[in-house]
Amino acid sequence: MKRINYFLALSLGLSVLTSCDSFLDVEPKASISDEQTIFDKASAETALRGVYNAVANSSYYGTTFQSIGYLSGDNIQWTGSQSQIQEFINHRVNAENSTISGAWIAIYATINRANQVIAKVPAVTDPTLTDALKNPIVGEAYFLRALAYFDLARTWGGVPLITQPTSSPSENSGIKRSTQAETYAQVLKDLDAAEPLLAETVNRYHATRKTVWALKSRYYLYQKDWAKAEEYATKVISDITNYKLLTPYSAFFANNVRGTQESVFEIFYNGTSEINDHRGQWQPQTNGGTRQWAPNDVFVALVNDPLVGGNRSALAAKDNQSRWYGNLYYRSPGSDPSYVIRIAELYLIRAEARAQLAKLTDAAADVNAIRTRAGLAATSASSKDDLLLAVENERRIEFALEPHRWFDLVRTGRAATVLGITDPNRYLMPIPSVQLQIDKALEQNPGY
Amino acid sequence: MHFITLESRPLAARGLVIKRSMVSFAITLLISVLQISAFGQTNGSGGIVLSGKVTDENKEPLPGVSIRVHNTGLGAVSDVDGNFKITLSKPNELLTFSFIGYKTLQINSGNRSTINVELAADHKLLNEVVVVGYGTQERKNLIGSISKIDPAETKGIPTGSFDAQLQGKVAGVQISSSTGVPGEAINIRVRGATSINASNDPLYVLDGVFINSTSNQTFSTGGKATSPIADINPSDIESIEVLKDAEATALYGSRGANGVIIVTTKRGNYDQKAKINFSTSQGWAKAAKLWDLTTGPEHATLVNEWWINTGKDTPSLNRTEANRPFRPVSEGGRGLPEEQKTYDRLSEVFQTAHLQNYDLSLSGGTKTTKYYIGGGYNGQESILKPITFQRASFKVNLDQKVNDAVTVGVSNTFSRTFRNQARAGDGPAGGLLQAALHTPTYLSPTNENGELVGRAGFDNTTLLLKYYDVNSTSLRYIGNLYVEANILPNLKFRSSFGIDYNNYDESEYWNTYLIAGSPSGLATSSIGQYTTWINEQTLSYRKNLGAKSSFGILIGNTLQSSVSSRTAAEGRGFANNSFTQISSAAVTTSSQNWSKNTLTSFFARADYNYGGKYLVDVSVRGDASSRFGKDNKWGYFPAVGAAWRIKQEDFLKETRVISDLKLRTSYGITGNQNGIGDFAARGLWAGGSSYEGLPGIAPQQLANPNLRWEKTSQLNVGLDLGLFDQRITVELNAYRKYTSDGLLQVSLPGTSGFNTYWSNAAEISNKGFEFSIQTANIRKSDFTWTTNFNVARNVNKIEKLANPLRYGSRDLILQQQGTPLYSFWVYKQLYVDSQTGNTVYEDVNKDGKITVDDRQVYGSIWPKFFGGITNNFTYKGIDLGVFFAFQYGNKIYNHNKFFGEGGGARDAARVIFASNNARWQKPGDVTYVPRPDGVNVNNYRDGGSRWLEDGSFLRLRSLNLGYTIPKTLTNKLRIETLRLFLQGANLLTFTKYTGLDPESSASSAANQQGIDLGTPPQPRSIQVGLNITL
Repeated sequence: MKRINYFLALSLGLSVLTSCDSFLDVEPKASISDEQTIFDKASAETALRGVYNAVANSSYYGTTFQSIGYLSGDNIQWTGSQSQIQEFINHRVNAENSTISGAWIAIYATINRANQVIAKVPAVTDPTLTDALKNPIVGEAYFLRALAYFDLARTWGGVPLITQPTSSPSENSGIKRSTQAETYAQVLKDLDAAEPLLAETVNRYHATRKTVWALKSRYYLYQKDWAKAEEYATKVISDITNYKLLTPYSAFFANNVRGTQESVFEIFYNGTSEINDHRGQWQPQTNGGTRQWAPNDVFVALVNDPLVGGNRSALAAKDNQSRWYGNLYYRSPGSDPSYVIRIAELYLIRAEARAQLAKLTDAAADVNAIRTRAGLAATSASSKDDLLLAVENERRIEFALEPHRWFDLVRTGRAATVLGITDPNRYLMPIPSVQLQIDKALEQNPGY
Repeated sequence: MHFITLESRPLAARGLVIKRSMVSFAITLLISVLQISAFGQTNGSGGIVLSGKVTDENKEPLPGVSIRVHNTGLGAVSDVDGNFKITLSKPNELLTFSFIGYKTLQINSGNRSTINVELAADHKLLNEVVVVGYGTQERKNLIGSISKIDPAETKGIPTGSFDAQLQGKVAGVQISSSTGVPGEAINIRVRGATSINASNDPLYVLDGVFINSTSNQTFSTGGKATSPIADINPSDIESIEVLKDAEATALYGSRGANGVIIVTTKRGNYDQKAKINFSTSQGWAKAAKLWDLTTGPEHATLVNEWWINTGKDTPSLNRTEANRPFRPVSEGGRGLPEEQKTYDRLSEVFQTAHLQNYDLSLSGGTKTTKYYIGGGYNGQESILKPITFQRASFKVNLDQKVNDAVTVGVSNTFSRTFRNQARAGDGPAGGLLQAALHTPTYLSPTNENGELVGRAGFDNTTLLLKYYDVNSTSLRYIGNLYVEANILPNLKFRSSFGIDYNNYDESEYWNTYLIAGSPSGLATSSIGQYTTWINEQTLSYRKNLGAKSSFGILIGNTLQSSVSSRTAAEGRGFANNSFTQISSAAVTTSSQNWSKNTLTSFFARADYNYGGKYLVDVSVRGDASSRFGKDNKWGYFPAVGAAWRIKQEDFLKETRVISDLKLRTSYGITGNQNGIGDFAARGLWAGGSSYEGLPGIAPQQLANPNLRWEKTSQLNVGLDLGLFDQRITVELNAYRKYTSDGLLQVSLPGTSGFNTYWSNAAEISNKGFEFSIQTANIRKSDFTWTTNFNVARNVNKIEKLANPLRYGSRDLILQQQGTPLYSFWVYKQLYVDSQTGNTVYEDVNKDGKITVDDRQVYGSIWPKFFGGITNNFTYKGIDLGVFFAFQYGNKIYNHNKFFGEGGGARDAARVIFASNNARWQKPGDVTYVPRPDGVNVNNYRDGGSRWLEDGSFLRLRSLNLGYTIPKTLTNKLRIETLRLFLQGANLLTFTKYTGLDPESSASSAANQQGIDLGTPPQPRSIQVGLNITL
């Protein structure tokens, strides 16, 4: 009997142990519950960094979104095996394309993070989070949301406008697309909200009031509001102590520099926990890259033409098999900044706006600022049309490896002439087919 | 038990005799031939002539029975009519009658001159002990569907893990070895697949411990992963049971939906003298064939043709004959096609691999102790340099009877598995096989300065082979301690504590000669620790109710906890290639991961057996998992089963031809939670979203407090039939599985800011049957022939899935409602227009153009049927096993060929296969290979069905030839048995597949199976060895 008691006691003891609920309560260590996320100064600041981190994501300004802008132009060739890259070069992008799908998701992830900050930070009651600290946090989130909607609008046209954070699977889905005009209106609304919240300071890695002006300048350029485009460009350019065209051209990226006076807004990567993957696509194998996309023969000829490229020839280099590769993103590990707005762009925005406003001399002066820096003679263009063409050609070389060429040609209505696109429906990218399947409220762009 | 029959029994019906005669006709014929040599040794002179007849229980004569006279060396064999004659030197000799498949009988001859003997069939299979959930059972009393495998036949197949060796051995268990790299993970599916995002792997139970079967590999080897099952030495395994239906798996409740594989390792026997066993083998493996590539001139010709064709299609490209790429160097070209050289990289990376194996074991026991001690070493080179697999293992199993009532025992498995690895799958940087296969053959491995250079975006193969440094070491301990006590005569208590501990250490170093290490070197290191402990108590009670019936009750509980943690570091920027440790790198980063889950369970089973005729049982298991939401932690998994042994009924008792007949059925529900994250149900924000090197946080996952167990209900109906004293046994099972609340990462619209969240949203069904038959074709004392055949069919279907999911390269795999899991999604190529040379695809929606809407599901990875056939022969000391595995009707996507048959459009970026030479060139050409045009334009479209091939095969999986040296010789050397053997694996493969191996798959990910890219084939191998028992 003694033995029986012993075993029964043992099994009973173990049963009691198992019934303990605590055994089944396992808390994660690398994550926190989403029930309490932004509640004090530190969490407000870290949540804002989370928004920048989303902008820096490889699917957004890290690589993918940027590639839509330059691959769809006429400077880049593809050397790899994935035909989805070739679709941009051929201007026959399918709705199944994984680049557009990745960019769409990454941009909306940025918007959700910005929405979290915009919705929750104003309600934080931490006394150490003074209004002076709180306002820029909210303002920067507004700016980043404006950038996100601007990128959505110029790539896809009108998109669903999401301005509240997502807290359950049923939220922020099933929302119909707004028009492109409504989407751009949201951009302006957010920029207007950001502007007073931000100080008129200089920070090249964070949004300030000056960064808002720069994006507003670009925004008005896209809206063909030439006067306002010129006005906001001037607001930034006139700060000559902080914003300068560096000479030579490569001075804004070569020799591992970052945050130069050329830069208005660039994304920071520390090269350890924050890696910019962009180099991998451009650098040759001997530099640890894939050289999946590379400058094409036409562009190599242009950029190496001393009358066209000037010192911008630093954008292309040759590998040990005499193949050309793009050299804007080269640091290893990837700590290259992603350039969002450079002062050169504001000069060229103003040049274009001034040409449109028939301020031809001023326009030529802005073009020549860019040409002089590139080590070129002054432009011979003098008429409005010639100046506009001169701006277009400068932009082609100046931003060859940045996301501009495609959007420029679409915006100016020149895509048909320059790229030979016969179907205007191709000016907008298709809504990713996977998104259409998941969200029945979405409608595809015409022609896809 | 054994008896001499002198009484007369009713003769079997005439018809039965005829049937029986037909069956044994071939046997008899063979025996008559063999008898010529078998007889003639017993013609002594003088002495007592003893004659008689040997029959079976049905009075049918038994030919070929061996009759030996104790301690004399005299013997005889019965003839076709069962008659024998033997001359004895004296009366009262002890005679031994033996015949395979019958119980051996010993009789004293006395003074008789005539002796008629009846041998009783040895119903070994019926009384075979089968391991079931938390216990054992005799096969005749089984209700569930369980297959038992003796691993001895297959353990020599050079794969590394025992599960890969079981292919074709178990009806309804589909096993695909997707690579020729030993010790890599395989796909194993018991009765189909039940889940899209949760695991479909069966539960592995080794000596009572639920062991990890999910790869711990974190480094990329191009989609492949190592198998933790390869840590286990197949030679230590005594038996493997595969539990398939709900009745059998119900006691594993939450873990049982994908079947359970119970592995029992070897133990000693009480009262057995020490037995030493040593075996070794040495072998060689080689690829049966390699890919057939174009020569340099052929490649150049095709590229020129593509250039000119695309120029005609799109004049704006300005591609003409005049500016074709391969024009004379003097014109600025790369030289004329005929001037191109051909460089062979494949034979540089493939080798004849050396295989070796050593096993030494000691087993035995006293009255109260039994032990098994085993040590083994297995070393395998892959046919692809520089990959190796080396496992050293050590095993100690010990059982001690403390007293009459209490037994204590331990099982210990230690192993160290070292692997030299290489990226054998997809991916350019470091991709060894891709570099060798996909680099165009005309490109020289050196540049104009004579330096070795990588081409086409791949590494240089010579440099890769020289500097490859990727390896992993797995240290594994699996142990179990148990105490078992008979508290009362009918009441047994058992408690056990088991541990599965795995330390997994990986490191890689890439120097500056390699892409991954450019420009300044890269070293990474990762150390993971994975620990599962499990504690278990069972209390079982069994009682006979009168003479005829009995019942049993089992109750138990388990507690389980699994913790995984991993620390990884990476260093970049080395001063030069002499520095390879992370500590000498300029930039270092590190990371840490930790995760944990717990499970607590209770279970109970009751069974009732009436007269060995009617068997029923009922079981239930409740599991609570830490992974699910507060109100959904518990899942309950009941099962019921019943069997009717019809043979035991009076109306069948006298039917001689049927020796066993049993009808079984079961229904139950099992669960699944494997494969989902430990915190899948929670809403989470993650750290690590830093900016400017400062900490950042961001939403990570949306909560689903309703997340709950995936449940699979299964109905099984089975029939066991034995004929002619179990010379023929048949097992037939039909089943229907239906999975609901399937765990799925449900896609969310991008507008939510999230991609997916975990939900119970899918439903999947599997229906099928399994048939297996074992026959003893010939049972003669010195010649036997047995055949095992099994075939199974499983029909899988996704019953409910809101949105289709695409997987694999170029979305080749589509999961959608209404079609099977892992269906291929392609543009169906109908033919090549003999006038234009263009591919004509099926225009599914008849809109006159080929768009993505014309992609269609066209076949899947599921075979229509699959199985295996084994024939075993013994002749005196010689044994021969011939084992074929087969599957029929599955598709495989030849992704290598997709690239290799790209028509030249990838120019210098990819190789071209020789099969592309058969392309259309001029009107009237009839071919399946279209004219070269652009990439993904028309003819070489991504996802074209031209590369989707029939993956059916019949494979001579293993051939074993052994010779056991006669005991008369070995006994003199004090050797109990000495067997020499020769083993071949994959010697023959019959398939229409044009790739190297119809089982190849580039990825170990479940949802990306069936895509063959950059994967070394399973090799053909030969091994010789010997096995000594002292």
